Amino acid sequence: MKKTPQSNLLNDFFFREETPFGLALARIVVPLAVSVPMWFRLPRVRELFTSDGTPTQLFELFGNGNVLPVFSPAIAVPLYGVMLLCLLFASMGFRTRLSFLIATPLYVYFNLLDAIGTMTKYSVIGTHLLILLTVSQSGMIWSVDAILNRRKNVLPQPPPKTAVWAARLIQLLFCFVYFGAAVTKIQTAEFFTGEQMRYWMLSNWNYNNPVGEQMALWSWILPVSAYCAVVWEMLFAFLVFQKRTRVLMIGLGVMFHFMTWVTLGLYIFPTICISGYLAFITEEDFIRIRSTLRRWRATQPVARLTAAAGAQFEKTVAGIPSWSPALVTWGLLLAVASVAMTEGERLFNIYGVSASGKMRLTEMDTERASHMINGAAEVREKDKFFSFDIGTVMIGNQLANRRTEFTYGELMIAQCNLNPPHEDMVVECVLMDTEDHVIEHSTEIVTRDMLRYNFVYTIGSNLLPGQYQMILRSGRNEVYRRGFRVTGTPPDLILKEGVLTN
Amino acid sequence: MSRWKKIGACAFIAAWACCMGAGIVGHALRVGICGNTLSYFVVWDMFCGWSAWDQETHIIAEGSSGKYYEVKEPWGEFRPFGHRGRIQYDHTNHMLSRHVENILSHTDHERIDRVFIVQEVWPKQYNLPPKLYSEYFEQEQDKVSYFNLRAVCAANGQPVQSYQDWFARQRMASTFDNPRIRQQASSSTSMYNTFFNPRTQNESAIGLSTN
Repeated sequence: MKKTPQSNLLNDFFFREETPFGLALARIVVPLAVSVPMWFRLPRVRELFTSDGTPTQLFELFGNGNVLPVFSPAIAVPLYGVMLLCLLFASMGFRTRLSFLIATPLYVYFNLLDAIGTMTKYSVIGTHLLILLTVSQSGMIWSVDAILNRRKNVLPQPPPKTAVWAARLIQLLFCFVYFGAAVTKIQTAEFFTGEQMRYWMLSNWNYNNPVGEQMALWSWILPVSAYCAVVWEMLFAFLVFQKRTRVLMIGLGVMFHFMTWVTLGLYIFPTICISGYLAFITEEDFIRIRSTLRRWRATQPVARLTAAAGAQFEKTVAGIPSWSPALVTWGLLLAVASVAMTEGERLFNIYGVSASGKMRLTEMDTERASHMINGAAEVREKDKFFSFDIGTVMIGNQLANRRTEFTYGELMIAQCNLNPPHEDMVVECVLMDTEDHVIEHSTEIVTRDMLRYNFVYTIGSNLLPGQYQMILRSGRNEVYRRGFRVTGTPPDLILKEGVLTN
Repeated sequence: MSRWKKIGACAFIAAWACCMGAGIVGHALRVGICGNTLSYFVVWDMFCGWSAWDQETHIIAEGSSGKYYEVKEPWGEFRPFGHRGRIQYDHTNHMLSRHVENILSHTDHERIDRVFIVQEVWPKQYNLPPKLYSEYFEQEQDKVSYFNLRAVCAANGQPVQSYQDWFARQRMASTFDNPRIRQQASSSTSMYNTFFNPRTQNESAIGLSTN
C-alpha cells in the first residue's frame, strides 16, 4: 500500500530517529523534581501512608471506597525507601527502565493513598512524565547504563539514536494540560473579571507569595493577564510544533510557570513542568546550544567543569570491576535502603512515645473554646466588601487607576467590590465635603449575585475646587471613605451638557 | 525500530492519546467524570473554584472534667503545601474522623466526652501584610473571625451531630428573607444529615479542590 504524505508526516513526527538528548535531560531532572515533595514526607510516612496513621485515598473522595490496600509501617516504610532510591537510580540512569518500573507504581500508590496532603495535579503531571520516561529509551545516553554498555565495546561508538515518540508524548502531555486548563478557565467567568485570581493570590494555601499579594491589588492587571494566559494555553498545542513559534511558546510557558511561583506561591508545580519541558530539546537544538555555549567565553569554565565532572563520573563507573554485576549491586543497594529506612523511621519515632509515656494534648482557654464553639456572630457590613476605590478608567470591569485628584469634566467611577456570599443589599454612595455636608447621595440595590457595583459621577460645576470625600455605606454603616481633591476652574453654567452636574 | 516494537509504540500512543482526549472532552462537556477516580489523571481543572473568604478548621476536645483541649498533633502538624496543617486541606471532611482518632489515640489525656469541629472564616483581604493593607485600604486591619460549629464527634472521631457549613448558612440566610422559600424549605428539610457527602464530587461534576 502506498503511503500518503499525511502518514509520512505522522511517521516522521513520531518515529524520526534522533539521539535523545532532551529525553536524557528530562530523565535526569524529572525524577529528582517529583521526588522533592516525597523527600519532605519521608519523616511522616507512618502518619500519611500507613495503617498507623491517617491515609485518605483519592478513591474515597470520589465515593469509590478504599480500593488500595493500606499496609502496616513494617511494609509501607521500606517500600517508600525503595521508591525514593529507585527515583534516584532512574535519574542516574542506573538500571533505568527497571528503576522506573518500580518507582512509578509506588509513586502513584503513595500519592493515591494521601489525597489530602500529597496528591495534587502536579503529582498527576509527574505520574504521566514517569510513565512516559519508563517506556522511553531515556537511559541510552548520559547514564550509568550507557557507561556500562560502552565498557563492552572495544571501538568508540557514535551516539545512539532512537525514535522520538516518547519525547513527542511528553510534549503532547503539555499540550493536553494547557488546553484542559484553558477549558477550566473558560468555564469560570470570574477568572476573566479578575476575582478568582485575586482571591487565590490572597490565599495562604501555598507557600509565600509577596508579589501575588501586591498584584491582587492591581485589579486591572488580573483580567489582562487572564486573557493572555488563556490565549497562550489554547495556542500552545498548535504553535509549539511550528519551527518559527516553538521557542516563543516554550519561553511563554517558562514565564507562565515562573509567574505561578511568584504570584501563587507554587514551588513544586513549576519545577515539575519546567523539568518536563526539557523533552522539547531536539538533537538539533542540543547541538546548536552546545556550540553556542562553547563559543561564549563566559560559559567556558562551566563547560569545562561539567566535562570534568562527567569524565570523573564515567571513570568511577567504569572502574567498577566487571565481575560485579550491575543488577546485583542495584538490588543490594535497594535492600540496604529498605532496612535503613525501616530502622531510621523507628528511631525517628514520629508520635514521640517515650518511656515516660505519650505526649500530652494542649489545654485551651475555656473562654476562647466556648467562644469558638458557640460563636455565630453576624457578619459585619464591612466584611461583605472587599474594597472601595475611586478612579476614572475601567479595564475588564475593574477600576484600573486609583485617583485622589479630579478635574472638571472628568468621569469619576466609584467602584465597590463585594465578598460573596452576601445577601441582597442596599448600598449608598455619599459625596461629602470635608465638614461632612452631604452633596450627592446615591442608593442602589446590590443583589446577591453581584460581585461589584460602580457609581458614576461627572465632576461638574456643583463642586467648587477643594477637598471632598466619597463614602460607601451599607446597612446605614459607613464601610469605606475615600478622599479626593477637585482642581481647576469651575465651568460656566452654560457649558456643554454633561459637565454641569451629576 | 523493529516492526513489532513499532506496532507496540503505535498502540501505546493511540491508547494514551485517547485517554487524554477523553479527559479533555469529558471535562469540557462535564460528562463521564463523575465518580470516576481515574478521571483525576486526565482532567486538568487546576484552580477550578474560588472563595472570597479564607477558612481554617479547629478541633476542640472537651474532657470529662469540663476542660477543653486543642486536638492538634503535639509532635507537630505536617504542612504539605505551605504553612497550613494537613487537616486544613481536607475540604470534604473525609479525613477528619480518623485525624481526631489518630491524635487522641497517640496522646495522653483525660477521658474525652465530646470533640467539636469548628470552622473559622474571615475575609481574605485580611491575609495581606499589615503595612500593605493599611497602604491600600487606608484603614486599620481589624480582622474579625467568624466561628461556625460544623460537627460534634465522639472520642473515636465519629460524628454525632453535624451542622451546616458557614457558606451554606450564609447563602441560606440571604435567601430566607423570602417567606415563600422559607416555607418550602421547612417542608423539605431532610431528617437525615451527613457530615461529609460522598455524592458531592458527583453532583458538582467539577474537579477536587486539590490543585
